Amino acid sequence: MDCPVCSNEPMIVLEYNNIEIDFCQSCQGIWLDQGELELLLGSAGDSDKITKMLKEKVTVHEKPRRCPICLKKMRKIELGDQRPVMIDQCRQKHGLWFDRGELKDILEQLQSQNDDAVLKFLRDIFTNST
Amino acid sequence: MWEVIKANQRKSWVLFSLMGTVLILLGFVIGASVSPEGGLIGLIIALAIWIIMSFVSYFSGDSIMLRMSGAQLVNHNVHPQLFNIVEEMKIASGMKHMPKVYIIPQEAPNAFATGIHQDQCAVAVTAGLLSRLNRDELQGVIAHEMSHIMNRDVLFMSFAGTLLGSIAIISQVFLRGTYYSSFSSRRYRSSSRNNQGDGVMLIIALAVAILAPVLTQLLYFAISRKREYLADASAVRLTRYPQGLASALEKISSSKLDLTTATKITAPLYIANPLKQKGKKLSDLTSTHPPISERVKILRGMQQGVNLNDYQVSFNKVKGQPELLIPATALKDKDPLSLRQGSSKKKGPISPTQQAREIGDLIRRVNDFLFISCACGLTIKLPANYNRSQVQCPRCQKKYHVQKE
Repeated sequence: MDCPVCSNEPMIVLEYNNIEIDFCQSCQGIWLDQGELELLLGSAGDSDKITKMLKEKVTVHEKPRRCPICLKKMRKIELGDQRPVMIDQCRQKHGLWFDRGELKDILEQLQSQNDDAVLKFLRDIFTNST
Repeated sequence: MWEVIKANQRKSWVLFSLMGTVLILLGFVIGASVSPEGGLIGLIIALAIWIIMSFVSYFSGDSIMLRMSGAQLVNHNVHPQLFNIVEEMKIASGMKHMPKVYIIPQEAPNAFATGIHQDQCAVAVTAGLLSRLNRDELQGVIAHEMSHIMNRDVLFMSFAGTLLGSIAIISQVFLRGTYYSSFSSRRYRSSSRNNQGDGVMLIIALAVAILAPVLTQLLYFAISRKREYLADASAVRLTRYPQGLASALEKISSSKLDLTTATKITAPLYIANPLKQKGKKLSDLTSTHPPISERVKILRGMQQGVNLNDYQVSFNKVKGQPELLIPATALKDKDPLSLRQGSSKKKGPISPTQQAREIGDLIRRVNDFLFISCACGLTIKLPANYNRSQVQCPRCQKKYHVQKE
């Protein structure tokens, strides 16, 4: 799977504690497969929680990105209440794309409420890297 | 075993010529409806189409089937157990050539075999199947597939498949042709001469063109269903453990996933109908496979032995009415084959996460991913087109050299 941002850059797969993400080494973006997201959230016991927090954004300034699986344009959605973060979601529900730092931003917002395995994993990986 | 193959060939020829008659009739009637002398020409054209298609399928049918299913040739390292079982079954069945082993990178559990030529036969299983079955169950599935190759089912099914394809094409072309030309031609014809005969012929041709594909499809499916029972019976004889195949079939049928690469024509080649959603509750006539519950019941009913005869006895008991599945001469073969005990541990229920992980990893291994386990507990999976010479673990910053074969 190639990174949706950097052209011709194959993403690498990282697995830790039974959680798996696709990661681009050049732009540090993260792709979460749809099934993956469900598994992650399912294991935490509240699969609806994050899905409910997703809101479609109508006016967008960011360039549309293409889903690395179906290569169709993804839609922009917002996640989070106080400081919403804009991420990309495949319209055919293949997964979610987080630009560099976006996932960390979301994690910081969720940190107070939630401390499940997903967040721990992502914190583990991305607090070390710059 | 040989009687079964012989009987199969005989029965196949009968059904095959029946299908061939339909084709010839179709060609003749269509030709005759175009012009009174056209019957023979139509017949020849129909035969020519079928011969060409048969040639294509005979010389490249295997590779077409494998390519259509998206199967990928794998080596021993990708799944040693699978290779081990295939080898074991090859020896048990006395086949001369080791089949090639393919894995279909899909989650739906299923399997099929190809082998128009015995020396180029192949078995293909999906990644989902490998992750769900234990050794005994997998052995049952492989034995079933190898039985298809041994009984020459693949050869026959691919020829019957092309026959079905030819009939479908010819009648489609004819029906569409008459539909689009009916407006223009009527004007000229009615004024030229009295051609009541033509009109009658046209109606007959239309009827035949509509009925022929349906009829041949039913014949095709009927053959396919019989062959599934027979392959089950031979598989049990090879593994001496009917429970393995039975529980494998149960696991396969409990999956709700559709195999996205299967089509109507290729469906009969799989161990269980790969298209579950479509036509689920249609009548028995139109299904390519016998109901799995029935196959399982027959297998589970085999308590005395694993001969073909034992299968026939259990088959009769489940079906209620005796129907000769296996030729009488083969049933006399009373090798003292006894049941064996299951050898592998029960594959306990694993979490869906873990299963998805296993399937994903298997698919990646099929696609030549490189796996690196970092000391910090992180696993890095590099795609085949990864183009850098080293990779850094994002968690602990350790650098790894990437070696490509």
